[in-house]
Amino acid sequence: MFDSEVLLPDLWDILGAVPVTLAMALGIFVFSTMIGSLFAMVEYRRIPLLRELVVAYKVIFKGVPMVIVIFLAYYGLPPTSRFLTSLVGIDYNGHSTPNWITLIVALTLCVSAFQAEVVKGALNSFDNGQAEAAYSLGYRKTQLFRRVMLPQVIVAAIPDLANSIMVIMKALSLGFAIEVVDIFAQSQLTAALNFYYLEAFLIAVFVYMVIAYIVTFVADRLERSLRV
Amino acid sequence: MLELKNIKLSYGSTQVLNGVDLSVKRGDVVSIIGPSGTGKTTLLKCINSLARPSSGTIAFDDVRMDYQKLDRTAIQAIRLRTAMVFQQFNVFKNMTVLQNVMDPLVVVQRKSKEEARRIALEELDRVGLSNKIDSYPSQLSGGQLQRTGIARALAVKPDVMLFDEPTSSLDPELVGEVLKVIRDVTSSGITSLLVTHEMQFARNISNRIVFMDRGVVAADGSPAEIFEASSNPRLTQFLTTEHSIQ
Repeated sequence: MFDSEVLLPDLWDILGAVPVTLAMALGIFVFSTMIGSLFAMVEYRRIPLLRELVVAYKVIFKGVPMVIVIFLAYYGLPPTSRFLTSLVGIDYNGHSTPNWITLIVALTLCVSAFQAEVVKGALNSFDNGQAEAAYSLGYRKTQLFRRVMLPQVIVAAIPDLANSIMVIMKALSLGFAIEVVDIFAQSQLTAALNFYYLEAFLIAVFVYMVIAYIVTFVADRLERSLRV
Repeated sequence: MLELKNIKLSYGSTQVLNGVDLSVKRGDVVSIIGPSGTGKTTLLKCINSLARPSSGTIAFDDVRMDYQKLDRTAIQAIRLRTAMVFQQFNVFKNMTVLQNVMDPLVVVQRKSKEEARRIALEELDRVGLSNKIDSYPSQLSGGQLQRTGIARALAVKPDVMLFDEPTSSLDPELVGEVLKVIRDVTSSGITSLLVTHEMQFARNISNRIVFMDRGVVAADGSPAEIFEASSNPRLTQFLTTEHSIQ
């Protein structure tokens, strides 16, 4: 039977996981957007060889399920980091890497492939006639990029970037597989203690919805204030 | 003051400019007419180095430069002496009308913001946009966008203005306001090259008409010589077609 009395205590319990979930999401968002932007620039500028590598990267990380990448990182990162650090003479025990770092690395690798597409789309939406006008007036490439292109590309990318925050939030629930406790994992743990699973997951749904609403609201506001 | 010699340019296997020679005196208003795809726009782009000819030379006053040897500094020098008005306006969409005109002055010419603002306001007044300085491009009509483009070009005080079909993308009722501004600009004595399909307008404002055909200058003369006394059959055919369209 549904018991509404556990809702409030469950909510407090699950809310405890919100800050860490948001912090991880923000970290993954920032890193993946930076890497994705670099990838997008490589493709936009058609840099030979690097461009082919970026395409291959995107095919791999868009195609492989995130949970597999998480497990690959979980089992592969410790020996890899140990090997790499030994090359520069540092004795580092890769197995002491916290799981939340492994999760951030794995999801950053995956989401970068998607962010690259978002930024590439925004770059391609830029009307090149403006670039022609800027060059004709004597702007250098960097001046054109900073003064004209970047402000427009950011605005064009905002809706999809906001989407990606929610995708990351949801992807973080896969972290339960390697014992990282986010909103979903916390609701699972809370329910395991009192056996009120339905209530706990409904609370999780509510928390995810509130976060989604805030992200969408902020992104819409930001886009509206920047779009002219 | 401006002299182009033997300009050749191809896009892939298509030869667009096939050895263009053109010289323009200070204060000349030259209209370039001709069938579509004959290299008129490309020629303007060559003048301010947006397009790079495979051969030929360009001279401003006594300084002659070979297109094959143009370096960054030379290209920048050319661009600072010319300003282009585009068919699609190409105003910066993230900036207001005033910022569009000020920005090149601050960023490229390194003028102070106060001076840039003063010049920009002057030029915007000249094109009749004083009441729109804080509007963004998305809030303007095509005619206003093009006048912004013209003010932006005028503000950099170029030696030569290049107009690339400035009214071709406009609704018919907006053409008049832009033509009026161009007429004012050209009558002020600034050297201008105008690619246009507005034959009557070209005839009225120009002291020279250049007819381009198949990548070369096929006829060059005063409006009267071109429109009334030409013996070039291709030109006659072109003028008849244009006349019947208009």
